Amino acid sequence: MSGATCRGDRPTGMAYSVLAEIGRLLEALAGSGASGAIDLRSLPLTEADRTQLHELLGPGEVSAELEAGGRSTVRETAYPGVWWVTHRGAGDKVASEEIAVCPVPSILAAHPADIAVAARRIRQTLDESIPGQAEAS
Amino acid sequence: MELLEFARGPALTFALTVFIAGVAFRVAVILFMWRTKDSSVGRAREKPAFLAALQEIGRRMWPLSPYRQRTLFNLINGYVFHIGLAIIVFLLLPHILFLQDLTGLYWGHLPNNVIYAISIVTLISLIAALVMRLGNPAQRIISTFDDYASWFVTFLPVLTGIVATTHLGARYETLLALHILSVALLLIYLPFGKLMHFFLVFVTRSQTGAHLNHRGAQ
Amino acid sequence: MADNKTCDRKPAPTLGEALAERGISRRSFLKFASYTASIMALPPAAATAMAEGLAAARRQSVIWLSFQECTGCTESFTRAKAPSIEDLIFDFISLDYHHTLQNASGHAAELAREQAMEENKGEYLVIVDGSVPLKDDGVYSTIAGMTNLQMLRDTVRDAKAVISVGSCAAFGGIPGANPNPTGAVAIDQIITDKPVINLPGCPPIPEVMTGTVAYLLSFAGIPELDALGRPRAFFGEAIHDRCYRRPFYEKGLFAKGFDDEGARQGWCLYEVGCKGPVTYNACATLKWNGGVSFPIQSGHGCLGCSEPGFWDLGGFYKPLSTGKDGVLKYAAGAAVAGAAIGAASAYSVRAKRKKIMGNATQAVATPSGKEDD
Repeated sequence: MSGATCRGDRPTGMAYSVLAEIGRLLEALAGSGASGAIDLRSLPLTEADRTQLHELLGPGEVSAELEAGGRSTVRETAYPGVWWVTHRGAGDKVASEEIAVCPVPSILAAHPADIAVAARRIRQTLDESIPGQAEAS
Repeated sequence: MELLEFARGPALTFALTVFIAGVAFRVAVILFMWRTKDSSVGRAREKPAFLAALQEIGRRMWPLSPYRQRTLFNLINGYVFHIGLAIIVFLLLPHILFLQDLTGLYWGHLPNNVIYAISIVTLISLIAALVMRLGNPAQRIISTFDDYASWFVTFLPVLTGIVATTHLGARYETLLALHILSVALLLIYLPFGKLMHFFLVFVTRSQTGAHLNHRGAQ
Repeated sequence: MADNKTCDRKPAPTLGEALAERGISRRSFLKFASYTASIMALPPAAATAMAEGLAAARRQSVIWLSFQECTGCTESFTRAKAPSIEDLIFDFISLDYHHTLQNASGHAAELAREQAMEENKGEYLVIVDGSVPLKDDGVYSTIAGMTNLQMLRDTVRDAKAVISVGSCAAFGGIPGANPNPTGAVAIDQIITDKPVINLPGCPPIPEVMTGTVAYLLSFAGIPELDALGRPRAFFGEAIHDRCYRRPFYEKGLFAKGFDDEGARQGWCLYEVGCKGPVTYNACATLKWNGGVSFPIQSGHGCLGCSEPGFWDLGGFYKPLSTGKDGVLKYAAGAAVAGAAIGAASAYSVRAKRKKIMGNATQAVATPSGKEDD
């Protein structure tokens, strides 16, 4: 849920302000490759504003679901490079929400440390399941 | 927060004590001083004294010409800041709550935004009054400390009130504390200067009215 | 904790390594960091640095000291539950000493505290809830035969930093309220040689506590503090400035009681004593119980519980614009005294006049033969 907002059923125009900011970030991304993000939780958005922003951005080609300490969703919008990231916690409650402007949100990529650990684990699994393989490697 | 607690606590207690003692003192002095008995015969067309007294309060609200023309700006400006002050003090909800806490009385209020606009007008009007006083050589010569001090202790609460409402310059609790302290200053000074006219004007006008009525003035 | 006093013991694993062993990926770190950065009003880009910082940190030893307190702060801390990513905080810290939550008791508990202090010298965090009484050498609150004052000074000696959780530890709180019979004081009145972070509130919002600890871990530094030692990220704005009922305040629509028309319409609560304008906390934005509500949304004015001396502000239901109770206590006496002095001075002048005029009145008679008063 968003923070200090006036409870409202009417859009206040904030959606367009956010869109303008997204536009600036997207131009920067296109020009210099600099990534950016907008934290939606910190903005005074009413429910109507959020819905309007959602409609303005539209759906894209990519949709990803994560299970890491709760469900998270990463959806590309109709504007390539603009992603809507929602992090949920226990009880599926929204913990944080942001618009990430980048080629792909970093949370989707596997982290080098996790990759290293995974390589070790595969090695371990192979060693255990194929006897004799351990000496050969 | 400590300044605000001081302002709402010891400072207000002291100020109200001095204010009540001071007003009681001034009124007692006036009541217990001697009065010269008027032993003259009443004139024809003499109204009841009480009625004449009340009428005089009203009659002196608006001067006769040519006095009116010569003092028109000061007259209107005076009404502007008097009415402005009355609206600010008596129709802003936080002030109504303050007075309710002291007296138990309660009444309706105006929106904060409306009072804010009126207070800006009042502020300008008070500044204009000071400028007129300083700009007039005769007034400047006869002006005393009391004249300037009375203006200052009236101006300061209006100014600090506006600054507090607009959250300008410092944290709100500091601004609110300064506003309450400026009101405390006003309360302490009031009984000992010309600001006592808030009450005495009714006393003096009615006395004048009764007296002149007895003498047959129309 | 296992005995690891051997000289060549391996260094403790980093949080990244330790949690990877349990199948928690770096993605969880990034998610946790995104959430924490968001509630601390850090730019979204800070989340990456925070996640890296956290993963590289070692499990933080925390010694929690409870003094003159009600355990509400602990209750709040352990309710930081809404998203399961918040549970991660209990993976990031090692709560080596805590009266309510620990298994050990008696001497064994104190031994655990001393051991944690020794093993983590210079690196452990001390979290304190509750104030410390100073009167009569501090006898009014003792644990294991030690006064709170002694235990505090002893424990903080080799600590990295101190966090005063709750208004009692931060400002003296309830024990410190009028007339403060035990001489209760805030922690930062006693500890002046270590960094002390104040997280006031009665209790503080859970996310405020976990966010601050996470920040300390990730960035190995203290967040920006205000003049009262509170993190600006959470205590930088007044409730009034982020309150959703603010438009009603501006328009002059106020609830006059708790069940009148105004209350039902959700109007401003100034008249029923809301201290929102002078209270700095994150209640209006973060809210409570995982963002469900906060006092004003539930229809009750703000108590000002994250400010010093909030118990002595003059009544929860007295509006901010009123004086505290008892401003008129001398009024009757003042009126009588003023009138008496006035009358006395008037009479003394009259007496003087009579003395001066006494002879004259006989010489100058008025037409009707009556004398002046």
